[in-house]
Amino acid sequence: MVRSSKRYVGIAAGAALAVGLSACAGGSTDESEGSASGTGGASTVTFRSWSPIEQTTAQMVKAFTDENAGTSIDATVFNYPEYLVDLQTRASSNTMPDIVGLQPGALTQQYRDKLMPLQQCASDTWGSDWQSKFYPIGIEQARMGNPDGDENFYALPLLVQTVNLWGNSEIFEDKGVTAPTTWEELESVVKKLSGESYAPFMLPAKDSWLRNVVFLQIANNIEPGLVYQAEDGTDSWTNPRIVEAFEYWSKLFTDGIAQKGAIGLDAYPSGANQFEAGNAAMIPLGAWWIQQSDPSREDLPPLSEGMAGYEPFLFPTIPGGASEAQYVGGIDVALGISKDSANPDLACKVLTDWIAGAGAQKLVNTFNDLPAVTGMNPETFTSDKQQEMWAMFTEDWMPKVQWSRYLESPKVDTALGDALAGVATGDLTPQQAAEKVQSAQDAAS
Amino acid sequence: MRYRRQEAGTALLFLAPALVLFAAFVVYPIVYNVQASTLRWDGVNVGQFVGLGNYKELLEDPVFVTTLRNSAWWILLTIAPQAIIGFLLAVALNRRLRGRAVYRAIFFIPAILSPVVVGIVWQRILDPFNGVVASVGRLTGIDVLTQPWLSDPSTAIFAAIFVNVWMWTGFSMLFYLAGLQLIDTSVIEAARIDGATGLQLMARILWPLLRNTHLSLLLLGVIGSLKTFELVYVLTEGGPNHASEMLPTYTFKQAFQLQSVGYASTISVVLLVVAVVSSLSMVRAFGSGFLTGDET
Repeated sequence: MVRSSKRYVGIAAGAALAVGLSACAGGSTDESEGSASGTGGASTVTFRSWSPIEQTTAQMVKAFTDENAGTSIDATVFNYPEYLVDLQTRASSNTMPDIVGLQPGALTQQYRDKLMPLQQCASDTWGSDWQSKFYPIGIEQARMGNPDGDENFYALPLLVQTVNLWGNSEIFEDKGVTAPTTWEELESVVKKLSGESYAPFMLPAKDSWLRNVVFLQIANNIEPGLVYQAEDGTDSWTNPRIVEAFEYWSKLFTDGIAQKGAIGLDAYPSGANQFEAGNAAMIPLGAWWIQQSDPSREDLPPLSEGMAGYEPFLFPTIPGGASEAQYVGGIDVALGISKDSANPDLACKVLTDWIAGAGAQKLVNTFNDLPAVTGMNPETFTSDKQQEMWAMFTEDWMPKVQWSRYLESPKVDTALGDALAGVATGDLTPQQAAEKVQSAQDAAS
Repeated sequence: MRYRRQEAGTALLFLAPALVLFAAFVVYPIVYNVQASTLRWDGVNVGQFVGLGNYKELLEDPVFVTTLRNSAWWILLTIAPQAIIGFLLAVALNRRLRGRAVYRAIFFIPAILSPVVVGIVWQRILDPFNGVVASVGRLTGIDVLTQPWLSDPSTAIFAAIFVNVWMWTGFSMLFYLAGLQLIDTSVIEAARIDGATGLQLMARILWPLLRNTHLSLLLLGVIGSLKTFELVYVLTEGGPNHASEMLPTYTFKQAFQLQSVGYASTISVVLLVVAVVSSLSMVRAFGSGFLTGDET
């Protein structure tokens, strides 16, 4: 019996070893063994992403298939963490969808070898000057992190955005204040709005992405572009001007500008819900907040009706820094096509339609974020105020966005988020925080 | 001899489906994970063999040390309170009591809620600016209630543990209720006739007779603590500044946010070893009766 048991164990171990050897971790996938991407037939493409949201994607799919009879799009939308898991699993098992949602920089670069260069597709659809259709920051970020000499576009921007502050117009009016344009004004407005049932400056700093974009707005207002020089190694994170940016970040907490417990509050859903409910006078978010008054939404909170209760403004300038507030932003979501797509022509057609065709119009109509191409506008606005805001974002702000809301390396990006959390909780001084990011930078390069 | 061989062949055929599934879904992922832990690998492109390099790096990683410390806190501070409160609730609700089915359901409901929902709700309850707890604190002047429990690095892990205890105590209660109903009532009656008070009955009769339930809960508690992910991720995302990081949240961040699947696999291997060693140690210390249902 003992011998039999041993034999069974041996068989199980043998089977496991055989399976293990047949598909090892970290190996390259033999292209000849893998099937072409996508699970549909010749007139079907698959799409997976975390954005746009499901209802909007369904409208975009319908817009395309209505115009292109006989085609179909198998679309699945996940939340972001789940999508990362799905994408990684599919990419490593050669079952990558035809069209994928991507973020510029690290995510696109991770999948670069599995993505098709898109400039031919873009040029065939829009002509040789196709790049001029896009906002400059979108074109710049689409190739962020490409190896030297690689000028390919492995992703094209679908939606772009600015990161900025939003104010509650009703509170501002009620208290006789205006959106602060300088740090001193910010301090003075916060002082005037203190002691009420709402937070003067609601900072949902639990999320690393939000900490980073607020910091990037501060840092660029102190010394425009310096953090990107620190990231590419031509300067250092310990440059006194960057340390100063950490100091101003720290002041948000130590000088009582941010609400108590800011580092424990997430942007979504908590911070956004509180701002929409009128529990905050100011909040750092971005251009996408304009979707609060999406025409298809019903039973909107009073502040969101026609965006009546909101006003966007740039992060205040810092004493001794740039004389004007800087525009920070970039790609919200980009699209790529799998190199192994069974139907690259149809995939290209879908991708370009969603960026600048009938599908894009459906997307823009929902105010999901700003379109990556210029000149696209929603067919319906809920108010003149919303239309003015839209025009300001798309015609005034977006073309001026020069500074990226992302860092190239996920490790440095995470190190920055951690360092900012450390400063916020008092665990790190601004100098120590800068040194920590520099260490991560050294390790990553 | 031929008969025995035939018998073994038949047995193997019966076992084959289970063995195949075990190999495919248990052994293979473990082998794959161990192999991945020897690579510097982003999960998509070709990995680079680094031997035990990831393990060396892990030992020097202060966040990893934090995750181990947090796991220890989690095990210590969830299992005992959940067991004690669950036991007391079970004893109270094992009596004839009007509406006891409703009470049982109420106490059990948190255990069937999604940890994501629980996390979002408690994050709002504990929000020091606008949360219920802080509002009560301000109204009553009890300052401690206005503290930023989830955003203070020194308290974040304990706040998450508190929410976990709230969520899972009903589960322990259900286990103890099942255990209590298996106890021969004549034993309890005999103790009462012998003059045992309610407290003595609980401490000297019921508690010892529920040994297998305690051990099952202990085993489930240890494994559950090591696997904790959703609740912590939603409540604190492992922050602030990694103060409430657990092994699975750190693994997830490394694999999918930092594109370090090799390093994440190393953490997973360590997690696996800790889980297996702690489970086997318990089985060795207490016997396997509490798992098989045999009296020990």
